Amino acid sequence: MKKIGLFYATKAEKTSWVAKKIQEILGKDVEAVEVEHAWQNDFEAYDRLIVGASTWFDGELPTYWDELLPELESLNLKGKKIALFGLGDEVHYPDNFADGLGILAELFEKAGATLVGFTLTEGYTFRKSHAQRNDKWCGLVVDLDNHSEKAEKQIQEWCKQVKKELE
Amino acid sequence: MKKKYDIKTTDVELLKKWYHLMVLGRAIDDKAPAYLLQSLGWSFHAPYAGHDGIQLAIGQTFTKGEDFLFPYYRDMLTALSAGMTAEELILNGISKATDPGSGGRHMSNHFAKPEWHIENISSATGTHDLHAAGVARAMVYYGHKGVAITSHGESSTSEGFVYEAINGASNERLPVIFVLQDNGYGISVPKKDQTANRKVADNFSGFANLRIIHCNGKDVFDSMNAMAEAREFAIENRTPVIVHANCVRIGSHSNSDKHTLYRDENELAYVKDADPLLKFRRMLLRYKRLTEEDLKKIEEDAKKELSAANRKALAAPDPDPKTIMDFVLPEPYEPQKYKDGTHNQTEGEKAFMVTAINETMKAEFRRNPDTFIWGQDVANRDKGGVFNVTKGMQQEFGESRVFNAPIAEDYIVGTANGMCRFDPKIHVVIEGAEFADYFWPAVEQYVECTHEYWRSNGKFTPNITMRLASGGYIGGGLYHSQNIEGALTTLPGARVVCPSFADDAAGLLRTSMRSRGFTLFIEPKALYNSTDAATIVPEDFEVPFGKARIRREGADLTMVTYGNTTHLCLHAAERLEKEGLGSVEVIDIRSLIPLDKETIFESIRKTGKVMVVHEDKVFSGFGAEIAAEIGTEMFRYLDAPVQRIGSTFTPVGFHPSLERAILPSDDKIYEAAKTLLEY
Repeated sequence: MKKIGLFYATKAEKTSWVAKKIQEILGKDVEAVEVEHAWQNDFEAYDRLIVGASTWFDGELPTYWDELLPELESLNLKGKKIALFGLGDEVHYPDNFADGLGILAELFEKAGATLVGFTLTEGYTFRKSHAQRNDKWCGLVVDLDNHSEKAEKQIQEWCKQVKKELE
Repeated sequence: MKKKYDIKTTDVELLKKWYHLMVLGRAIDDKAPAYLLQSLGWSFHAPYAGHDGIQLAIGQTFTKGEDFLFPYYRDMLTALSAGMTAEELILNGISKATDPGSGGRHMSNHFAKPEWHIENISSATGTHDLHAAGVARAMVYYGHKGVAITSHGESSTSEGFVYEAINGASNERLPVIFVLQDNGYGISVPKKDQTANRKVADNFSGFANLRIIHCNGKDVFDSMNAMAEAREFAIENRTPVIVHANCVRIGSHSNSDKHTLYRDENELAYVKDADPLLKFRRMLLRYKRLTEEDLKKIEEDAKKELSAANRKALAAPDPDPKTIMDFVLPEPYEPQKYKDGTHNQTEGEKAFMVTAINETMKAEFRRNPDTFIWGQDVANRDKGGVFNVTKGMQQEFGESRVFNAPIAEDYIVGTANGMCRFDPKIHVVIEGAEFADYFWPAVEQYVECTHEYWRSNGKFTPNITMRLASGGYIGGGLYHSQNIEGALTTLPGARVVCPSFADDAAGLLRTSMRSRGFTLFIEPKALYNSTDAATIVPEDFEVPFGKARIRREGADLTMVTYGNTTHLCLHAAERLEKEGLGSVEVIDIRSLIPLDKETIFESIRKTGKVMVVHEDKVFSGFGAEIAAEIGTEMFRYLDAPVQRIGSTFTPVGFHPSLERAILPSDDKIYEAAKTLLEY
């Protein structure tokens, strides 16, 4: 079985925390890639990817992601599967809750990848989000600012789900 | 949104130019506090760091010769990117006489170059949105291809005048780009305390004819694409566009603000990580558009440029305090035929004041095709204002020159100011409010009109005649009887006139409409259809500013008055004469600013006794100024203390008995004059 590429910003504290949990659970199948230094070929090297990002300000990707987007416009991930996770703050940013996840989803769908790992929006309180697809998130949403107590369980369950869906 | 610019394909020379502007701008932004530390000036500095993307884009999108730009006090890179030099920015920062915006008169960090239409604007940020709407109205009328770009923070959208400007631009379909540079704070006030919607532009999403574009103001390419699209869209569709740019404020609001009092370390580190200049630099390298050597060369060149600009600016002359009286008001039109504003015509029919004003406006509109009038209620079929003063004008001059304004006094005055910026040939007449009582919301714009000429060091003056129907004696109560000249005459930069008779109304209006600058034209509404105020009006009558008219000659007592009370004084004088109690001279000052002190003083030399009479309150009314001038300069000629007659220090009551008790009357003036004559 080929490795799963786990892309996240290692300098981002909360995102790293979630990513490390994922790596712990999924074990040796997962190879971490620092998104701060990733380039198009790094993404294309994997058939199965897990990608995570937080949301900055009023619904933007962090700078290190934003700077990478022009490079990824010509990304080709046809036939590949990708599971996304994002972080959000539903109390202070309910109008753009976990928007970063939605922006990533659009990017990878445009590149031809199949998104997996959708989860239910039930139980979250927010007004608007780019990451919402009907009653689901297009990945896993973790709110460490307001519901850190739920995070471990959410990650556990999601890893179980994506392990199957990424196969 | 179309992607005209991106890191991969944008011409490398253009990328170099942008990086140069951004580096140079930031170097000046970083250096500004040093001038204050060395006591060289720049005591107000609002750093722009964190707004770099959108400010570069505003300046680059601004097209000299076509567009008008209204930058706010944080728009340093905007001004640099629009073409101003580092030296010009520093000249403003350290308030030199050669500062192109104001010659050191306006505050630092208010960058302007009026000759390029980088406009000199107020510190009351957001008020300039109304000026942008006004100039865009002129662009539409004259078929000019261009846009008005106005810029400020997101917090200004809490102000009513911003709403009025966006509403008006939407309603009139005006090519205005409203740029909201959203850094999350209004000084220390966070967005959550301003409005419920974090993306404040979305508050306007229900407006018709309005496009809203969101962009990342920290990103050069996203900002450039947003501004390019906005300009193209605004011109092609003749509609306003809001560009909402997400920025960060890396520094404090200004040097008088200490942001560490309300922002924690995490937040400060977070915004620093989003530094747009560093992001752009990283991208230029990462996408191999420029090398480290290229970037260093640009950085080195910018340093040298700043150093040279600094040297030149420091050597520039300071403003001369002897010039403070320059550019308070421009020279007015000088009447040619009626030099002292009187006439001897006895042939012809008497006209009411309302007719005299109406016919004079029509005559001046025929004479000058670049005249306009708007106000509440001024033009709907046969109605021409609440008092019919503008009757028939829209039919004769068309809907583009004569039209209704929304019920928004600030918008009425602010867009007049803005429209005048398009071309000095334009003269705008406005009914500032339905009644003077309703003018108060527009006082901010009145202040702007009075500041423009002085603040811009003579480079811009709004050519406006602002008409207001004023005063009582109509049973109008508290909100249809006010006299507001006492408050407005405290502001330098406006001429203030108030006729008592039809001929003077015509003559003063003609002079106002032919003069450069701003004139407040007060119309005592009780006199519109008064037979007392009706006179023969020579067809081409003119009255100069600052020239009083002696309406009755006398030897024993001088009454100095204007407006409604001129007639009451004349009645009292007649009665006193008939009763053999004295001969009274009645002077109608006609102009409050400028004031004809010579005529008043000359009369006092003759009579030795003087009463100042007006309808406004005695306490702090304009008469207090006249009385004080007389007391200071004419004391030795006085045989009795100066007496003042006017309203009680109360509002005007609605019941006729209350109104009578409050306002001056024939009897009150008669009694006071009798006592004074007997003194």
